Amino acid sequence: MIVDRKWLWPLLGGVALVQSAALFDMVYERYRLLKSGRELTLSVHPLDPRDIFRGDYVTLGYDISTLKKSTTESDPDFNGFIPGAAAFVTMSPKPEGGWTETRVGSTYPSGVAAGDIVLKGRVLSAWKSKDGAESIVNVRYGIEKYFVPEGTGRALEDKVRAHKMEAIVAVGSDGTGALKGLVIDGERHEDPPLL
Amino acid sequence: MWSPYKKWLLRDLDRWRTNGWLSEEGRAAIVADIQNSTSAFSLASALGILASVLFGFAAISFVAAHWEDIPRLARLLLLLACIWAGYGVAGWLETRGQTLLADAAVLFSSGMFGASIMLISQMYNISGDPADGLLLWWTGTLFAGAVLRSNPTLALAIVLVGTWSFLNVSESNTVHWPFLIGWTLVTAAFVWQLWWPGLHLSALTLSLFVVSLGYLLGKGHAHELVAVLGVSAAIGSVAIEKTRFDLDHLAAPLFAYAIAVAFAGLFALQFFESPSVVQLLLLAAVTLALLLLAIAYALSRSNRGALWIGYMAFSVEILAIYGQTIGSILGTSLFFLIAAVIVAGLAYLALRLARRSASGEQPA
Repeated sequence: MIVDRKWLWPLLGGVALVQSAALFDMVYERYRLLKSGRELTLSVHPLDPRDIFRGDYVTLGYDISTLKKSTTESDPDFNGFIPGAAAFVTMSPKPEGGWTETRVGSTYPSGVAAGDIVLKGRVLSAWKSKDGAESIVNVRYGIEKYFVPEGTGRALEDKVRAHKMEAIVAVGSDGTGALKGLVIDGERHEDPPLL
Repeated sequence: MWSPYKKWLLRDLDRWRTNGWLSEEGRAAIVADIQNSTSAFSLASALGILASVLFGFAAISFVAAHWEDIPRLARLLLLLACIWAGYGVAGWLETRGQTLLADAAVLFSSGMFGASIMLISQMYNISGDPADGLLLWWTGTLFAGAVLRSNPTLALAIVLVGTWSFLNVSESNTVHWPFLIGWTLVTAAFVWQLWWPGLHLSALTLSLFVVSLGYLLGKGHAHELVAVLGVSAAIGSVAIEKTRFDLDHLAAPLFAYAIAVAFAGLFALQFFESPSVVQLLLLAAVTLALLLLAIAYALSRSNRGALWIGYMAFSVEILAIYGQTIGSILGTSLFFLIAAVIVAGLAYLALRLARRSASGEQPA
C-alpha cells in the first residue's frame, strides 16, 4: 500500500463503505423483488443436490426449462435464440389452476394481458432440427437452486420424490424471477424474511 | 529481490574482489545495498498474505456449511464486521509502517467481500448466473486494490476476472469477450503500480484466453489463429527489442509468453486435430524450426524464461511426435534421424560462428 497518510483513513473508510453498499444493494434488490413481485407457482422436479461452494441445495427443473417450438404457441422469433441470449416467457393462468407458457420471445412483449406474468430467462443451449420444423431451447431463470440447511438436502429430496412439489416464484416488473419458497404436498416452506 | 540473484551476485562480487576489479569499500557498499532491498519482502509479510488466503477459504466454507444455528442476519453482519475490521487493521498496520502486512489485511477484507456475496446468494436462493456474483466480487476487489494501491488485492482481482470468464465459458461454450474489459482494467492498475509480478499474471491470463480461442472459435478448430497470433506477438516483441532498448524488460517476457501461445496452437493443430501424414510432417517441421529459432534468439538475448519455454516445448513436441508415429515406426525413426542431422549441422555452424567471432575479437 502506498497511500498518503493524510488520506489513509478516508480512503479505507470509502472502500469499506462502497463494498458494504454493494452488498446492501444486493440484499435490498432481492428483498424488494420478493416483497412486491407477483407470485407464480410452478411445478418442479428436483435434479441433484449439493454445491461445493455454497453448501447443500436442491437443483430444481421446471417444465419451462426446456421449450419446444412445436408446443409453444405464437412465437415469431423462436429461431433467433442463441446461447447467452435473453428469453422472455409469457405465463398465463390455466383454468384448472397452475400456469402455462403461451409465448416466448427475445424481447419483453408489448401488450401483456392483465392476468399474465412475463418471466425473464437466459438461453443455455439451443438445438434445431435439420428441416427447421422443430427447435428446442434450454432456458435458465435464476430460480433453479434451493439452499437447504447442511445435511437436510437428501431428506428433502426423498420427500420431494414421494410427493408433488411446487415452487413459489416472485416476478418483478422487468421479468426477473426470485425463488420465494417451496410447496411440498400442499405445505408451504418459505424462509422467514431477513428484516 | 530474489535470493538466487543475491547468491549469484555475492559469489561474483567475491571473484571480482579477488581479481582486484573492485575495492573493498565498493564491495561492502553493494552488499549493503542488496541486503537493504531484500528486507522489503519479509517472511512475516509472506505469511500474512498466506494467512489472508486461508481466512478467505475459512469464510467461504463457513458460508457453505449453511449453519442454521446462527440467524441469517447475524451471519451477514458478522461478515460485514470482518470487512470493516480488515480495513481497520490495515490502517493501523500502515500507520505503524507495516505496509506489507497492511496489504494482507486489505486482501483479507476483499476475501470477506466475496464470502458475503456468496452468503447473500444463498440466503435468497439466487442461482442466476454463477458468474454474476464473481462479476461483483472482482469489481469490488479491483476498486479496493486500485484506491488503496494494494498489489496483492489487485492480484486477487485478476484471478477473479479469470475465474469469472472461465465459469462463463464452461457454461456457454462460446468466447467470453467481456474478459478483455476486466483484463484491461486490472492490467492498467498493474501498469499504474509498476508491479512486474502483476504484469506476469496479466500476460499469463491473456495467454490462456488466446489459447482458449482455438477451442471456442470456428466450432473449436481455430488453432491456426492461436498459432498466428502467438508467432505475430513473438515477431512484435523482437521488433520492440530491436528498436526500443528502454523496453527490453517488457519485450523479453512478452517473447516468452508468445512462444508458449504459438506452441499451444501448433501442438493442437498437430495432435488434437487429425492432419494427414504430409500435413503432420510439415507442421512438425515448422514447429521444430520455430522452436529452434526461438531458442537461438533467447540464448543470444540471455532471455532465461523464453529459453526454458523453448526447451520445454521442444521436448514435449518430440515426445508427442514419438507417440503419434509418422506413417510408420520406420517413418518416425527417419523423421528423427533427419531432424538430428539438421540440428547437429546447426550446432556445428554455431560453433564455427562462435569461434570466428572469438578470434575476431582477439586478434593476437
